Amino acid sequence: MANKQTEDGGGSGDRGVPLIRFENIGKYYGTVHALRSVSFAVAPGECVGFIGDNGAGKSTLIKIVSGVTPKSSGSIYWKGEEVEVASVKTARKLGIETVYQDRAVVGSMSVAENIFMGRELMRPFLGVFPRLDKKRMREEAGRLVVDLKLNIPSPDHLVRFCSGGEMQGVAISRAMHFRASLVILDEPTTALAVSGAQQVLNFIRRLKEEGIACIFVTHNLHDVYEVADRFIVMFQGEVVADIKRSETTVEGLIDLQLARKSKGA
Amino acid sequence: METAKLVQTSSSKRIQVFVLDNLIWAIMIVLFIIFSLTIPNFFTILNIHFMFYDASAIGMLVFAQALILISGNMDLSVARNAGLTAMFIGMLVRVWAVGVIPTWAGIILMPLFGGVLGAVNGVLVGKVKINPFLATLATFLIYDWMTYVINEGAINNLGKALDFPGGGTIFGLHFAIVVLVGVCAILYYVLQHTRFGSYLRAIGGNPEAAGMLGINLTAMNFWVFTIAGVLGGTAGLLYTGYLRTIPSTIASGDAIFLSFAGAIIGGVSLRGGEGSIIGALGGVLLLGLIDTGTTMTSVAPALRGVINGLILLLAILINKSRVDLRDRILMPRNAQ
Repeated sequence: MANKQTEDGGGSGDRGVPLIRFENIGKYYGTVHALRSVSFAVAPGECVGFIGDNGAGKSTLIKIVSGVTPKSSGSIYWKGEEVEVASVKTARKLGIETVYQDRAVVGSMSVAENIFMGRELMRPFLGVFPRLDKKRMREEAGRLVVDLKLNIPSPDHLVRFCSGGEMQGVAISRAMHFRASLVILDEPTTALAVSGAQQVLNFIRRLKEEGIACIFVTHNLHDVYEVADRFIVMFQGEVVADIKRSETTVEGLIDLQLARKSKGA
Repeated sequence: METAKLVQTSSSKRIQVFVLDNLIWAIMIVLFIIFSLTIPNFFTILNIHFMFYDASAIGMLVFAQALILISGNMDLSVARNAGLTAMFIGMLVRVWAVGVIPTWAGIILMPLFGGVLGAVNGVLVGKVKINPFLATLATFLIYDWMTYVINEGAINNLGKALDFPGGGTIFGLHFAIVVLVGVCAILYYVLQHTRFGSYLRAIGGNPEAAGMLGINLTAMNFWVFTIAGVLGGTAGLLYTGYLRTIPSTIASGDAIFLSFAGAIIGGVSLRGGEGSIIGALGGVLLLGLIDTGTTMTSVAPALRGVINGLILLLAILINKSRVDLRDRILMPRNAQ
């Protein structure tokens, strides 16, 4: 069963070398087996819905890809080469950007400061000392804000005045500016009102236009069905289905989760 | 059309925000005028000069506390760091290593030793991850009583060189004022124009987010406490020259509370992530202004302490409504 799913997952890489490929990823937390031999691939520019109920292992895999937690076993291939995602910095260097709802923004700082946090644009001061290039960061941030149609008056606007959807827009701007190849969105629409969720789905459509791949992690099947090209269904640390959008419906996805659930229970 | 979307912050809003952000200076100017009109001999160059001079040593402590608060921490030990530093280095150059280490070397050794004492807090908070209140409460007690363990009396005859930073003049201007303004300028630059300053506000504003964005919280906490320690040691140096002696009570009493008061009066938030070094300078000068005013009208010392407390309370109330008002001005009309 697991092997068959692996082949299916590999099959989607037929557009050439997959952007990222997970091979038999396992993760133990003490004696808890959070992930058992998870394998699937994401093609460049593809938007994959990563779905499953609570405890399915979604967030564990996200933490492994974004460099927050090390994996216990298995391999990750990035553009065909095996990589170790040892830290957040490594992940970002590879071009993997993670959007953690509204948690990875500093409310007391401006939109521009937040977009460039940790990767500030610098210019030399008195020939030697690096100094923040505030002007350039502000200009860039302004462009991104307009591009994503964020309802923000200026790049100097404090992030705590932004709505939940806009805060994610700020985080997504990071991916746009630094030309990430893969954006991981952790439950991006879960905490939002309908209008906010639509705004976030529009950001994801914008990412797809830019050819940026994304992994949309959620248990809200209606939202993810609007934008994903393919779905990976997780259950108790395993991939139980890998299915194209054209081959399923929202109801079909619900069944996939429920059918497996009743079998497992 | 699209660019117009980005310049909605009107100029009138910006002026209002500017006034609110610099409210401390407005209050100071008003108070200064009142004192000048009501207190005889208040408005003299000599008196204003003394006011700045008097604020220099405590200014170092206020700057240190401001940095610490902006980073989302607090430091109860920084004033006693100044005291222990002055006493330890004083004993070193005048007693333990007299003749080996020249007394003027104390000018360099005091900020360094203060930095070491600050680094201890940095390790406890950054690496061992002890709550900053508890960590610095412990080091406060240790540094405080260590001063008396080393020497219960006072060290005198420190020499012209070691007295100079805190007591000497240059072209008629007290050198301590040059230190105050110079340190203020450096810290302003660091906070506004460097990565370090930006990260300091980030870890104070939202440490979880800062960590997710790859900012090293351990290193940042270590360095901010170490820098606060260097400023504490510098305060010790300035007190030394100011007093021209090092008593074991140096930088004790309410110095630590004034370091918080100055920073908070200057608009630095206890929540972390918010505040400016220029505001902190305003805070310390306002304290100095009131101190000078009350001294000249021969208000009893105990009553002056009470007045400091009332000023702090007033400042907290003013700041609270100031922040609310500022938010209301900046909040976009269409926000949900």
